[in-house]
Amino acid sequence: MMHWRTRQKLVKGALGAVTVLFLAYQWLPMLVMALLSFTGPDGGPTFPMRGVSLHWYRELLRVQMVDDFKPPMLRSLLLALACSVTTAALSLAAVQAMRARFRASGLFFYLILLGVMAPGLLVGFGVAVVARILGIQLAWYTTTFAVHVVWTLPFGFLTLLAVFNRFDRRLEEAALTLRANRWTTFWRVTFPLVLPGVIGAGLFGFTLSYDEFARSLFSTGAEQTLPLVIFAQFDRQLQPTLYAIGTATTVVSLVTIMCFSLLFRMVRRRTRTGAPGAA
Amino acid sequence: MSTLRQRSPVSYALAMPAALWMLGALVVPTLFIVWVSFWASRSFSLGSPLALINYAKFFQRPAYVKVLLDTFQQTLILMAITLVLGYCIAYFAVVQVRRPHWKLGLFLVLVIPFWTSALIRTIAWIPFLGVTGVINQALLFLGVVGQPVGAFLYSRTGITLAQVSFYTLLATGPVVYVLRNIPVSLREAAQCLGATPARVFWRITVPLTLPGVVIGQILVFLNVMADFATASAIGGNKHAYLGNIVVLLYDSGQLPFASVMAVLLMLCMLGGVAVLLKVVDIRRLGIP
Repeated sequence: MMHWRTRQKLVKGALGAVTVLFLAYQWLPMLVMALLSFTGPDGGPTFPMRGVSLHWYRELLRVQMVDDFKPPMLRSLLLALACSVTTAALSLAAVQAMRARFRASGLFFYLILLGVMAPGLLVGFGVAVVARILGIQLAWYTTTFAVHVVWTLPFGFLTLLAVFNRFDRRLEEAALTLRANRWTTFWRVTFPLVLPGVIGAGLFGFTLSYDEFARSLFSTGAEQTLPLVIFAQFDRQLQPTLYAIGTATTVVSLVTIMCFSLLFRMVRRRTRTGAPGAA
Repeated sequence: MSTLRQRSPVSYALAMPAALWMLGALVVPTLFIVWVSFWASRSFSLGSPLALINYAKFFQRPAYVKVLLDTFQQTLILMAITLVLGYCIAYFAVVQVRRPHWKLGLFLVLVIPFWTSALIRTIAWIPFLGVTGVINQALLFLGVVGQPVGAFLYSRTGITLAQVSFYTLLATGPVVYVLRNIPVSLREAAQCLGATPARVFWRITVPLTLPGVVIGQILVFLNVMADFATASAIGGNKHAYLGNIVVLLYDSGQLPFASVMAVLLMLCMLGGVAVLLKVVDIRRLGIP
């Protein structure tokens, strides 16, 4: 029988090894993809690499008829921005409403959570069917937009619910007691305090929409978004161009997350210094 | 007192946009799918008579029923793997990593891949799985196998490998959340009273983290059931799950039959979630 301390160390070592192996397992494919995107002009989609070059990135920038990734990327970015703003605004309104405990608020809560539960493919499918029956033209800025917000809204909503759970109501009460009206109190006291949460909701809106594939598949018309174009290209032929676009769009995602977290920190710092003792 | 009066009419107006959006883009389309699945005519016509013929067609074809069973099997395999793997990672990250810097670092390296495109991550698996892929080259180099194994790309193994890397975090997240809410003093008290670490784990930690485990399993279940992209990218159209059949039928214009698949998929998912929720009372979440 081992001493329990030795055994505990063994368990810790084993769990640590599992975690590290899992991390390698998760990161290696992406790193290898990034590495292979720099292969030479004669290189293929697997090892060995044939030289090192920016050939496949240059290939991306060159205008092509079929494989031009630039317009779809622009569409995806615009769509993600629209989803970001919509998610932030709708979830803030929805959470404010929840706080007033209106009559159907329990049902309302589950209605919004449905967006997370519903399988993406089927939501897109449903909207495509409805559009066909009603004679609505499918387009990334109408139907796809609608479907993406169904997906992103619950995340923003839950984020803001959590923020308001920790919210100090006395600050609002103080403002109201000092005879600010409800409108002023909301915009001058409540909103600045929950702004970091609103930014978080916006981040969810952006990243979830930017990468979304399943929901876009049926709901997008002829002008496709980036994930759709990537998948179509992948279906035709696996080229290092795909690794280049994959690496590029991953960098865009990471830069966006960094921008949002910088914004988040800035706002939080300003709130803290602007209202001493509030935090 | 808040900036809104309790049950003020304004609150209804504020809830309206979100509610209408969810109704219009989620609930109504779902009802339409159910309606279309009963259309008796093969093509798209609003005046089609309603019948159960599409459902009968599904269950009369063994190939389709097999796809349904395959989907379930794949989901159960993924749930089992992510349950164990996800729990190990969560336990290590919360209980055994003590230093705040290490904790934050670990959190970041775990979460960052989650924020990037699942499609790109799927494509990134391809150079790993092929006959000349990274896994095969590593196995050859280590002398584990004499010649390349063809069993990774276009196979269930490959699909499972990729899916585990995508979905394990869904099982980890809720467990991390619940583990962090368990006061350390509970475990310490049990140890003071003479319980062995194993006993503390099975009698204290596991029961208290059960709600997190179930939520994680629900997330994995829902995602794997509806996952078609991994199967079609890595399985190379040789392996199909219900989602793949929906895509196939939609592309060939058989909307009513595609709707049947969609309805069955939704029913399976609803049933699965109901079963999982029976295991544990989710409402206890957050109350240690």
